[in-house]
Amino acid sequence: MSSEPIERRVSYIGDCLRSCRCSICGKEYFEARDYCGNCGRKSFGKMQNIDLFYDKGTLELCTLVNEPTNKFRKLESYIYGIISFHAGKIRVPGRLTDQILNKNEVIDFSKLEGREVIPRFRRRYSVSPSEVIPTISLAFTLADEYYPHQEYKIIPPTKEYKVPGIVGYGTYTSRFRIKENRIERSVPFIDEDSVTAAVEAGKIALIHSAIDSSQVGKVYVGSESNPYAVKPIASKVAQVLKLGEEEEDMQAVDAVDTEFACKAASSMYKDAASLVNYPESDIKYAMVIGSDNSQAAPRGCPGGELDAFVGYGGSAYIFGKTDVIAEIEGWYSVTSDTPDFWRRDGQPFPLHGGRFTGDPAYFKHVKKASTKLMEKFNLKAEDIDYFVTHQPNPRFPVKVAKQLGFKEDQYAISLKVNKFGNTYSGCSPIGLAAVLDVAQPESRILVTSYGSGAGADSYLLRTTKQIIEKRNRQKINVNSQAENPFIEFVDYTTYRRLKLGM
Amino acid sequence: MQNNPAIVAVGRTKFGEHYGKKPEKLIEEAWLTASSRCKLERKNLEACYLSDCFLPITNKLCLEEGFLSELTQLHVPMEVTSSVSAALLAACNAIRAGVYSTVLVGGIEKMTDRWDKIRDDLMLLEDPWSYYAGGTPEANHELMLRAYMKKYGITGDNIEKLSLALAKVAVKNHAQALKNKYAQFHRRITIEQVISARKNARKPLGLYDFAPISDGASALILTNAKLAKKMTDKPIYVLGGSSATDFLTFPSREDLTGFSATRIAMKKALKIANLSSWDIEIAEIYDQSTVMELISLEDLGFCESGTAWKSLRGTCQDYDGYYEVNGKKLFVNTNGGLKADGNPIGATGGAQIYEVFKQLRNEAGERQVTTRNTIPKIGCIQELEGFGTKAYTTILGGETVEQ
Repeated sequence: MSSEPIERRVSYIGDCLRSCRCSICGKEYFEARDYCGNCGRKSFGKMQNIDLFYDKGTLELCTLVNEPTNKFRKLESYIYGIISFHAGKIRVPGRLTDQILNKNEVIDFSKLEGREVIPRFRRRYSVSPSEVIPTISLAFTLADEYYPHQEYKIIPPTKEYKVPGIVGYGTYTSRFRIKENRIERSVPFIDEDSVTAAVEAGKIALIHSAIDSSQVGKVYVGSESNPYAVKPIASKVAQVLKLGEEEEDMQAVDAVDTEFACKAASSMYKDAASLVNYPESDIKYAMVIGSDNSQAAPRGCPGGELDAFVGYGGSAYIFGKTDVIAEIEGWYSVTSDTPDFWRRDGQPFPLHGGRFTGDPAYFKHVKKASTKLMEKFNLKAEDIDYFVTHQPNPRFPVKVAKQLGFKEDQYAISLKVNKFGNTYSGCSPIGLAAVLDVAQPESRILVTSYGSGAGADSYLLRTTKQIIEKRNRQKINVNSQAENPFIEFVDYTTYRRLKLGM
Repeated sequence: MQNNPAIVAVGRTKFGEHYGKKPEKLIEEAWLTASSRCKLERKNLEACYLSDCFLPITNKLCLEEGFLSELTQLHVPMEVTSSVSAALLAACNAIRAGVYSTVLVGGIEKMTDRWDKIRDDLMLLEDPWSYYAGGTPEANHELMLRAYMKKYGITGDNIEKLSLALAKVAVKNHAQALKNKYAQFHRRITIEQVISARKNARKPLGLYDFAPISDGASALILTNAKLAKKMTDKPIYVLGGSSATDFLTFPSREDLTGFSATRIAMKKALKIANLSSWDIEIAEIYDQSTVMELISLEDLGFCESGTAWKSLRGTCQDYDGYYEVNGKKLFVNTNGGLKADGNPIGATGGAQIYEVFKQLRNEAGERQVTTRNTIPKIGCIQELEGFGTKAYTTILGGETVEQ
């Protein structure tokens, strides 16, 4: 039995790799501290906090761990070593993650030593299902592989907008895929879950927006695969990404989880936009994250049909009124009590209503929300540049787009279910991100999410000129993750094992 | 000089798995052996210094002093430390200060009672951040070896030579343990076995490079120089002892290629003893791994930094029971070292002292070492706590060197 207070304290430091620097002599320490060993009492109050979470380090020394300690058993074998930051000023222990090592291969450690690595927020080790899940960012990936390093630089905003909109966004999927019938789907590594994807997506969004994380006043996390029945993902996100001002060991931010099947996140875009637009609100930015390790029963079991389409990933959107890349012009929502897909409390996998998931559920709600929104703005399909919708499988979004009168060049860019699978709460947001990655200024985007249960939210967005300048800050985007030489394909058994997690 | 501390008797149990024995039983065995080997009246014991590293975790035993009180039926002051060397150092200070004249020093550990959780405990206590990051007790040794190779530019053919030198350390220690009835392993191993274990593990170090997990206890009776002769014919004097401390998190230490705590502690101990490392003929080194034996030879000042592996390689060729370091014989880990004698952490130091004590008294039997037909006069013991977080060095000498 692990100790909750100890786990919490380790996470508090380890999740964002809280460190500090003496502003007198420049000596750096892993773990924040009140004074410097070199400078003594004159350094009180002169220690600057630094997080290594956004930095890149160097793998100085490494070895193989193939007989881990008990709690790391599920990782089987991994590269473990010493990582240095800031030219050796700080050294920390760490393991390389996102690697499935070949059981027979002899690893040449000297080829790994000296390479740059990036901290990744992951599960720390296995605990029993009733315990708090420990996390840590002393897990690293090689900077010259799947995820390049992106610098987090705060840039003061240059332009205020009247209408709120998207200030920045990020999408996160894993490096592993399963490929079946021409469909590639993202598979989490064994130390990943919906919480880690939420944090990673939020990190990428902060880097893209270049806003100060302390100015985020509210964070929503939508998911249907939270590893906890009770305990928000949002609180973890707020603490790791330091959203809002720091007050002792708390963050001055409102954080909440939302749930409405696959529209848990997209439903909150209007709430986030309204919040930053409310005149009396001192909330400058609000973040909405959709993240899922999409659940499906194994093939052959009830609900196992979903196993052909589920993916893993997250998306984060930051809303505000400065340096907006896409203004929210309006929205339209519909809801009905249609139980087309559900998961009872305590059950590991969802079930769905077979053929009723189509017409009376998905198609009916998506079409209604989209047409009503277009009517509201007096628009026809041809007035829209890009159409994005929820992608539970490769067939549905194409069919509904055609029924709404959209042509292939309007919707094809957003179709990512063939690359990542259905990432549930992250699904239509990743589709939107694929469009925002390429859209020119003054493009009109209609994005309609769908959540089983059932409901749809349709949004009308218009991109601004700033979308181009901000695009240059992104090294990790939808395309870089969809087409990447470092993608690793796994078989069905491995996919189920990884998905189950540690 | 009358208050100089002197060891008059030592005792220990066999190291290994003591499945059926309670920890109390082990320390009883060790202390009774020690007390029966000198003229000691139990009531003359004025204090006990007991060491254990893990008992509260492995056996849910705290206040070990209490059961020692029951065993000895004594109500004297008792203190607990984490290693025998630490207990000895504290006891020596008390003797020197004249606070006590005769004390019992003992150590005990019952690691196998913890079943398969012991590795997690070891790592967590040794270096918590490394544990949280996925480290294992073995990984730190391997990283230290890689750091060593990098710093001293050991590449190409030399890697193989270094690797062979390390294998010979393990082979030597197993060979020595054959002559030690208390040792955990009585099994000769070959260089091929050591190398093939590494190959199977696909790592620089393998199964035969590491000390085992053990149960055991050790004890010694310490008194002052004035009383020593009354209790035994050949007291062994503690000529010097010291300790030093380093950071808990191994990666954050300044130097990853050795243990600076050992270096500092050894310098101080030699200074106290007014000796140089040249005077030492026999050394019990804390070889949790073969790398540790190698690197400690440098840290203790026997070899120049970065050269120990060459000395080992040369002299291990046809192992005669000693290393030839700087043209001089040095007997290292004649009891088989932690590698083969066993490593019940809280009792290990007692076994190291036991060995030097026996060697200096010409009582080591089959293992007895000699240089030009004379028995060694001065020996040293290096004991570490954690992965070099603490280092203790103790220098012992027989009658002739007592000033």
